[in-house]
Amino acid sequence: MFTKKRIIQFCFAALIFLSLDLWMFKTLSTNFRSYEELRNFNEIELFAQTAPEDQDLQAYEKWIPSVKSIIAGARAFYFSFDEMQGDFVPSTGSETSFRLWDKYKESTEFRKAMESVYYLEPMKLSGSYKADYSLDPDIHSQETIASQVYFVPVIDENGYQANGAIMILVPNSTATGYMSLLRTIFISAAVIFLGIMLVITFTRDPITGFMVLALFGVVVIFIAYPLLEAVRLSFMKDGVVSLQTWKETLSPTYLVALWGSLRLGVLTATISTIVGYMFAFLIERTSFRQKKVMSTLATMPVISPPFSLSLSIILLFGNNGLISKQLLHLNTSIYGLGGLTLVEVIGMFPIAFMTISGVLRQIDSTVEDASLDLNATKWHTFKSITLPLSAPGIVSAWLLVFTNSLADFANPLLLSGDYRVLSTEAYMLVTGRSNLSAGSALSFLLLMPTITAFLIQRQWVGKKSYVTVTGKPSTTLTELTNKPVRVSLEVVSWTFIGFIVALYLTIVAGCFVVNWGIDYSFTLANWGEALSRGWTAIRDTVTLAAIATPIAGLLAMLTAMLVVRKKFPGKRLLETLIMTPYAIPGTLIGISYILAFNKPPLLLVGTGAIIVINYVIRELPVGVENGITALHQIDPAIEESAADLGADVTTVFRTIVLPLIRPAFLSSMSYTFVRSMTAVSAIIFLISARWNHLTVLIFNFSENLRFGLASVLSTILIVIVLMVWALMQVLVKDDKLTQKTISTR
Amino acid sequence: MLEKKSVSVTLEHVTKRFKNVKGKKDVIAVNEANLVIEPGELVTLLGPSGCGKTTTLRMIAGFELPTEGKIFIGNEEVTMMPPNKRDTATMFQSYGLFPHMTVYDNVAYGLKLRKIPADQIKEKVNETLGMVGLADYGDRAPSKLSGGQQQRVALARSLIVTPSVLLLDEPLSNLDALLREQMRIEIRKIQKDLGITAVYVTHDRVEAMSLSDRVVVMKDGFIRQIGPPSVIYEEPNSRFVAGFVGKATFFPVKILRKDAEKWICELGGKEAVVSHAGDNVEVGMEAVLMARPESLRVVEPGTGHIEGKVRMNVYLGNSLESFINTSFGEVLVQVDDPHAKKIYAEGSDVSIDFAPDRVRLLNKDET
Repeated sequence: MFTKKRIIQFCFAALIFLSLDLWMFKTLSTNFRSYEELRNFNEIELFAQTAPEDQDLQAYEKWIPSVKSIIAGARAFYFSFDEMQGDFVPSTGSETSFRLWDKYKESTEFRKAMESVYYLEPMKLSGSYKADYSLDPDIHSQETIASQVYFVPVIDENGYQANGAIMILVPNSTATGYMSLLRTIFISAAVIFLGIMLVITFTRDPITGFMVLALFGVVVIFIAYPLLEAVRLSFMKDGVVSLQTWKETLSPTYLVALWGSLRLGVLTATISTIVGYMFAFLIERTSFRQKKVMSTLATMPVISPPFSLSLSIILLFGNNGLISKQLLHLNTSIYGLGGLTLVEVIGMFPIAFMTISGVLRQIDSTVEDASLDLNATKWHTFKSITLPLSAPGIVSAWLLVFTNSLADFANPLLLSGDYRVLSTEAYMLVTGRSNLSAGSALSFLLLMPTITAFLIQRQWVGKKSYVTVTGKPSTTLTELTNKPVRVSLEVVSWTFIGFIVALYLTIVAGCFVVNWGIDYSFTLANWGEALSRGWTAIRDTVTLAAIATPIAGLLAMLTAMLVVRKKFPGKRLLETLIMTPYAIPGTLIGISYILAFNKPPLLLVGTGAIIVINYVIRELPVGVENGITALHQIDPAIEESAADLGADVTTVFRTIVLPLIRPAFLSSMSYTFVRSMTAVSAIIFLISARWNHLTVLIFNFSENLRFGLASVLSTILIVIVLMVWALMQVLVKDDKLTQKTISTR
Repeated sequence: MLEKKSVSVTLEHVTKRFKNVKGKKDVIAVNEANLVIEPGELVTLLGPSGCGKTTTLRMIAGFELPTEGKIFIGNEEVTMMPPNKRDTATMFQSYGLFPHMTVYDNVAYGLKLRKIPADQIKEKVNETLGMVGLADYGDRAPSKLSGGQQQRVALARSLIVTPSVLLLDEPLSNLDALLREQMRIEIRKIQKDLGITAVYVTHDRVEAMSLSDRVVVMKDGFIRQIGPPSVIYEEPNSRFVAGFVGKATFFPVKILRKDAEKWICELGGKEAVVSHAGDNVEVGMEAVLMARPESLRVVEPGTGHIEGKVRMNVYLGNSLESFINTSFGEVLVQVDDPHAKKIYAEGSDVSIDFAPDRVRLLNKDET
């Protein structure tokens, strides 16, 4: 592959292109500079002609600063001609210019310039001079900037003699916008060209090469770069390297928040795991009848929008809550650790439930039979066989919920009260005090426990599974409970589910009430107002999610194919980077995106594109995992046959891979859509006047105690999400049907 | 009928090393393979699993890249060419049929990629399906066909694009014995009719013997012997090839001298004359004397080379297998047409005899 001939070929082509690139860049930038010089000369000469006719100092004092209206950011200083000395003497003008002149007045350059002005010739000094603009700052220039220096005479009305001279400083910054654009264009041209050359010369399958290259581009620009930028900025203060931000972050103020996050995480994870185990056990290991209904209802909170549960809890148990105030006349507050734990457990126990179910389902019932056969009691069998066998599931579930709780942003935002957690603390720093670097430092603080838990879950639990899939599923399950135990489990579970359903119904009820907590009379007014004020947000949210969905789906499947089927250098790195957004909290992604993309060359903050990109990047890991699992079940010989028959990579992907992994494709699309519709933690940093998000609007309404409006929007969001979810379910089923008709024809 | 195309396939010093990710050592799957396959020839790569035969095939198809060496199809070097650009068609062990397409669409796939008009595709697909005996199965799903039928679909799909080289990767290993024999004959017929160059990978020696023009025996990444089936069977160069392609007994001998192109060796204290020898055999060395069961004869005690006692006779109709206990262990002798010969009863003393040109001296190394 890397033969000498090819390397020489590549180096030669690269050399030619690079020198061409550099030459064009030089020419264009020189042209631009000389054009700019010419233009500045013209402007300055025109400016000099507008000099006040009388030699009054006050008139000049007024006139000199007006140079800024002709050249943005420029500074001028006026020298009047002193007949006695036969030379120009400083008169009035900007301090910045004067200091510079004072510093260099003895230099030959400056002397020559003054002489030239004396002979009525305007002149520009070659080279640039550093001038300190902080002496008289304006909006364009405040700091020390390299500047061009112009000298121009003020000629008397006869046109014979110079009444005075003006020295004008033009900061280079006016040109840097254009210059940096030019530089960006030429550097990216070089990078793209070299990439393409590299692929063409050194791979035998250019299409795959380009796909890998493009994927690397996406991953580096939209995952690695923002995160590195966030790391970098957390070590900067006022433009210099400093540990100040981290010192502040590790102060007691924020360590309290870290402690708060950890406490909430541990509580939520523990309770969720217990509740999840109860549900999983009831559904997988008992002769309970309504398994389908129960498991559907128990998974619902996973797809519900972020603020809805908190909203509903506030409506019922808040300061003006229906139950707390109207029914029980309590004065205890739901805000704080208790309320947060309650909401997070309801929202996250499905994760534990699904994880543990998966493990319980695979336990071979014959080992329990063996235990019972040896005259162990049912309780003893459960304690000594079933529970230890499901241990990996329990640990895994606990860690997953813990990670989710730490990253949770929406619930603490509404419910934390005085209780402080890191994710919202970072948000406050960024939005309230616009301290981005401290915000990112806090998010990194949050990242540490999150990523630790994530890695343990991946590395340790993933391998330490006692469950073996034998491929010989046992047909009967041993009933491990007696009737009273089962019935009590059922009652507890149904009560829990009933509570969840009640929470959702509360939101629906909230839509039709004039003013919750005060006036419970029926009204439809909320709908009108919510729709008129929220219509653009609904439209934006659906549009952006709909754009992101197919992109994320296709990209995920393509990535899965490359990762599973192709060999290329840097595969591990690519996989790791793609999986990264799954482990890091949304707040960190949001903050790192505004840090990275609110400046050229990638000025994306404020556009819809950044929101779409954020959706795609955040939901890619799950889609890729889905795709990888699906592809592992497909015989590589099928794709090889297609390639063998003449199909290139894209054709294989389109005609073979995609149809075969269609269920994974559809489910990752529906996942992306649902998650994008209900996103909040990263999105709240990225929305703009032009592009709003429904969840953020719900948050704003809730915060302003407009619970009716928040309820209406939540209900709409839930309905949209459920509809799309159901649609995808039908599509996946439909797929099986068509396969059946083919096979029975 | 499908057009005829015949080209050669050449492997020059082809080596394939697999990087072992977890352990430190690389695995050498194919070592310095040199092979020329003539146009229209069917060559079998034969060897135990892990010998590098499938890797060799996959390098010819383009699914694997050789670490070193060059591959030519005809006069064109294809070493770096991706599979979709090569004029080869592969039949996989697992068939690799597209499960989401009908039989018709499976067969038409390659033609559609070549942008051939629909009516021509239809004509050609029907013709090819007819050729493999599946004319009425076009609208079925592959999963609804039997193993043999799936096999035919895979064959039709490979042949319809008129490849220069047909590559077959243990295509019959998923079929039952009877069907395998039938398909073997069918594949050979079609290959001969089309005159297509074919490479066939198998670990089944009967398949290799009955199909091929030439057999390439491989072991541990090395090509051990190349030759027509009869040569491989009757004139193996090494103990490994002899044992792998058929039943054989190896008697330890010491080579004493060479007289007029004949080898004189000591076998169990007596002298024996052998006409042929394999590689790496020299006068004075310890070697083995390889004998096929059908090359040995049972004779009266004291008249043959090796004395023994009949332990068991197994009657097979067209032949009889006699297991004889000797000082070298148990020796299998095959007696063809047993009706015409004297059969020694179980328990009787006998002697084993052979003609000098029916046995072979080989290096005693197992490999």
